[in-house]
Amino acid sequence: MSRLPLDRWVAIVLFAAAGLTPLVVRDVFILDSVILILLWGALSAAWNVAGGYAGQVSLGHAAFFGIGTYAAALMSARGQNPWLGLAIGIGLSVGAGAMIGYLSNRLKGPYFALSTIAFAEVLKIVASRWRGFTAGSEGVPVPFRPGFATLGLGHVAWVYLILAAALLAYGLQVYLERSRVGYQLAGVREDEDAAEALGIATRRRKVQAIVASAALTSLGGSLWAQYVGFVDPSHVFSIDLSVRFALNSIIGGMGTALGPFLGSVLITTLETYLRATFSGAKAGFTGIYLIIYGVVLILIVRFAPEGVTGIAARWRTRRDRAHA
Amino acid sequence: MDPARRLGPAQIDVVAQLAVSTVLLGGIYALIAVGLTLIFGIMRVVNFAHGEFLMLGMYLAFFAFTLRGLDPYFVLLIAIPIFFGVGLLTYALVMRGVIHASHNVQIFTTVGLSTVLQNVALVLWTGDFRVIRPWHSSVVLRIFGTAFNLSQVVAFAVAVALTVALIAFMKWTHTGRVMRATAQDRDAATLMGIDTDRVYRLTFAIGIACVGAAGVLVAPLYAAYPQVGLQFVTLAYVVVVLGGLGDMAGAMLGSLIVAAVEVAGSYIFGAAWKEVFYFLLFIGVLVFRPAGIFGQRGAETLGA
Repeated sequence: MSRLPLDRWVAIVLFAAAGLTPLVVRDVFILDSVILILLWGALSAAWNVAGGYAGQVSLGHAAFFGIGTYAAALMSARGQNPWLGLAIGIGLSVGAGAMIGYLSNRLKGPYFALSTIAFAEVLKIVASRWRGFTAGSEGVPVPFRPGFATLGLGHVAWVYLILAAALLAYGLQVYLERSRVGYQLAGVREDEDAAEALGIATRRRKVQAIVASAALTSLGGSLWAQYVGFVDPSHVFSIDLSVRFALNSIIGGMGTALGPFLGSVLITTLETYLRATFSGAKAGFTGIYLIIYGVVLILIVRFAPEGVTGIAARWRTRRDRAHA
Repeated sequence: MDPARRLGPAQIDVVAQLAVSTVLLGGIYALIAVGLTLIFGIMRVVNFAHGEFLMLGMYLAFFAFTLRGLDPYFVLLIAIPIFFGVGLLTYALVMRGVIHASHNVQIFTTVGLSTVLQNVALVLWTGDFRVIRPWHSSVVLRIFGTAFNLSQVVAFAVAVALTVALIAFMKWTHTGRVMRATAQDRDAATLMGIDTDRVYRLTFAIGIACVGAAGVLVAPLYAAYPQVGLQFVTLAYVVVVLGGLGDMAGAMLGSLIVAAVEVAGSYIFGAAWKEVFYFLLFIGVLVFRPAGIFGQRGAETLGA
């Protein structure tokens, strides 16, 4: 156990703390914060699978999130089982992810980002205009029906359910750090031509990464819809949301398993703090919060593009050198 | 488009109206896209904040009109130097540090800039839709069975004049040649004694001046609100990709194609679905001709 690297220890402490919180406190505000930190962390981890590990930097992950939210919300609103909606959402997102991955396979950097934005925008327009099916831009309220089968849970149960999703996302990332597939993806990310020359099926690996990422994002979207209870097309398909997934990973450290969760702790806490501080200035709140968010993004990519885990690793090597 | 519906088929020739609408819309889109393609082509940076500068241009026109009673066409004269300055400032504060960085860093820098500008507008000016109605927006011109308003015509004429002036500048002036040389080969240009930092600064400032001017020109035609940029910039991306990376003449043609898709799409299927068509067109072009309709194959895989 002593050989376990520091970032794994931090993750264990983080998840254990989240799991123990409901045993100690019953304060709804704190439990809500824990749920949101875990959920945004899991969603960013899902983004990280494509963006960080495979180098497929997407600005359209809100597309998969939105599919998940609508699948669960529409099933719930029609009196059906939201778990079935969750499964349908994952199925649709896998299809959508495979399509995007396959179609934009040759695209790199900004071209790939642009094509993912376009895809999310198309879904946003369809969701807000196809009134007969989605209720249009008014959005879909999710009825609260108590019970695990209908995903109408109390805060304590939500903590554990979201924790399970977070562990699933974390586990997938750890798998990518230790498995053959993961090394192949790293090869694709660092130098696609070289990877291909070594016999790696680069195209297939990239599509697989996007599909896995899309499925997890959709899962998170379905849970979010059931937890929050309302789905608004202009929010769930927005670029702001796609940026948020990416932002947590960038701040924490892209392509690291812990990064998205660290980023989520920082950003979600900042958001909660600002929400409390500026709650008086109603209309201004979202604006002020997002201004800070944008400035943080610009500064981080400029001065610490490797994120918090990267900075920590740099300090440790420096310290180790000093000791040697 | 809308005027056709309002007047009814008896009074206007539908095909001629659609054609004229396409050309007028295309001219305005060209001015928005030309700045984007210039920055894209020379700096190899996709400016995800491009639409926000358009939004700022629209607000400038709105406040100049409502607070000082200034006509947008007069404001245009001050808007161009103002936005040139804004471009220089943005370059110095934000872009300069990331010009040699990786794609990801550049993408997220301009995305962050876009978030900041949108929300500064939201905090300062709220999310209300701001509309101005100068006298020329209610003057209807009727020629050869078509009808459109004077603001549209002037916006088109000025947009085309500015775009053509920029193309001429790039083609025939020494500075334009220096800029194109930098686009072709950054390192070789540096070895030839070109101050590439100055080139990038100038490029960014010109690009922002163009889109700021476009914002002022469209202010009498569309409502201004903090997220308005997204609506225009997405179609500017389509135009730029269609026309080919950094190709300004291509951007003009791309604008016409996008405008035609939009006009025909909203006539046949209704205005609510028009965006779907150019996004589908966009995805189609990215997938099948990512270097643009006239571009070289493989350009999208270069250090774009």
